[in-house]
Amino acid sequence: MDKQAMLETARQMVAQIDDLPTIPVVATQVLQLLDDPDVNVDKVADLMLTDQVMTARVMKMVNSPIYRPSHEVTSLKRALVYLGIHHIKEIALTSSFISAFEDKGGVIDISTFWVHAFGVGMVSKIIAEKIHYRDLEKAYLSGVIHDIGEVVLSYYKPEQFAAILETIRQKPVRLVDMEEQEFRTTHNEVGFCIAEKWNFPEAYREVILYHHNPREAVNDPVLCSIVNLADLFCSVRDLYYGGDAWASFNLSEEEGWVILREKHPELAHLDVERFCYELDDAVPMVKEVVTSIFS
Amino acid sequence: MAISDKDFELLRDFIYNLCGMYFHTTKKYFLESRLTKRMEATGTKSAMDYYSLLKSPKGNEELRFLLDEVTTNETYFFRCVPQLNAIETKFLPEIVEAKAKMGFRKLRIWSAASSSGEEAYTLAMILHEKKSTILKDWIIEIIGTDINETVVAQAKEGVYNAYSVRNVPDLYKRKYFKEEGGKFILSPDIKKFVTFNKMNLYDDTKMVFMKSFDFIFCANVLIYFDLASKSKVVQHFYNNLQPYGYFFVGQSESLHGVNDKFKTVHFPGGFGYKK
Repeated sequence: MDKQAMLETARQMVAQIDDLPTIPVVATQVLQLLDDPDVNVDKVADLMLTDQVMTARVMKMVNSPIYRPSHEVTSLKRALVYLGIHHIKEIALTSSFISAFEDKGGVIDISTFWVHAFGVGMVSKIIAEKIHYRDLEKAYLSGVIHDIGEVVLSYYKPEQFAAILETIRQKPVRLVDMEEQEFRTTHNEVGFCIAEKWNFPEAYREVILYHHNPREAVNDPVLCSIVNLADLFCSVRDLYYGGDAWASFNLSEEEGWVILREKHPELAHLDVERFCYELDDAVPMVKEVVTSIFS
Repeated sequence: MAISDKDFELLRDFIYNLCGMYFHTTKKYFLESRLTKRMEATGTKSAMDYYSLLKSPKGNEELRFLLDEVTTNETYFFRCVPQLNAIETKFLPEIVEAKAKMGFRKLRIWSAASSSGEEAYTLAMILHEKKSTILKDWIIEIIGTDINETVVAQAKEGVYNAYSVRNVPDLYKRKYFKEEGGKFILSPDIKKFVTFNKMNLYDDTKMVFMKSFDFIFCANVLIYFDLASKSKVVQHFYNNLQPYGYFFVGQSESLHGVNDKFKTVHFPGGFGYKK
């Protein structure tokens, strides 16, 4: 189907939604504050404390295994000192995504959505680290938000989406193909339109649109390939929407890997099976993180 | 070559009993690919034949090659720059000050899965640079250990390819390496700080003798152990550290659920553990 037409359909669909989730104002302000080179922890803590939901979420995340505290961290300020400014951005954004979609999972159980989202985020970060991608936080965040369109379809088109979920459980068909058939657009285009509304930077929008076809990315094909691989990996490692996807994963044969190899010739030296082993090793931790955040 | 589940379990348990590395059924693909390489190289026709070879009088020699395949991990000089920066600017000065107050002037560092020596020698170069300042008149001891004899021999030799030294800052490269026919030969000034030995981290009788370290490094090895072996090995590291010592694992690893005695310390771009 014509990409442009699919994008247009998605735009119309998103335009009709009048209660579209918003990113909390405080999150936007925190992000602006963190861009300020003279920012101090007190200022950030004061601002975050004005949003109780965000504060609670941040504390849960700080105490989850992902940030490895040896003792429970009980005050927000101590959390900020403990983690350092550079981690706060990813926590602030992640917690605001969770808040934005609270009670908006629709027919997808929202925690299984986040299992996949965090899984892809964390695996993206490991791949990014391996290939020495310059911005690990960006890799993590693009992984977390890559499927944002899925939640929107699930919440605003519950009946059709439930039927699709039922179909993919029974037949070996891809979610994205079923969406195209049903909606004449997919979660990629829908997510892209949401990201536009939220004024997300270009690189993130591109990941959302092209994470199934990294070859089409022009702005940052490496980032798209990272998320593409992390997505495929998680969808066959029980980090998908309540099961495994009808997909196979063979790192060295994936298109995303071919792109990374073109951009980073030194990857020819990489022991691919060992790398997969390292990725596999991260799976239990990802599951534990999500459980701890939603408990 | 596909290996049956039964044969896989037999070989898997053999390796586990030997060195504590445990390959769960979901990680069969990894061990299978390593075994296949060795079966091809030795001309053994089946997994059972290969198992018999390992148990035969010639087994020890073959075991060395197998461990080579299973354990050899990619490494290079200046691998984790954020960690090195944190050590240089924060952890090292802190330990030097604490020790100097007590009248100690000796620093002990252990690269516990040293492979071909890149990590241990990177630390040696960084510390050597401090010999005229905070480490003036200090004794520096760096020990590298690995289960794999082949890489231990390479570490002792100290000759590297361009790929290994690609991250070495120019200043260090000029000062501490001699380039000859595409090879980079490490200076004896650095080599003399470091000793390398073959050692199995799973061997309690050896682990108890590794005492009084200020820093221990063990990156990307614990992921091959099962939880029981991991806890055991990490407890040894804990005991082997000085009261204020630091322990570092790989940046995507964690001691969560393995050991709760260490305190986590964050630094820009990474984290470590403090006793």
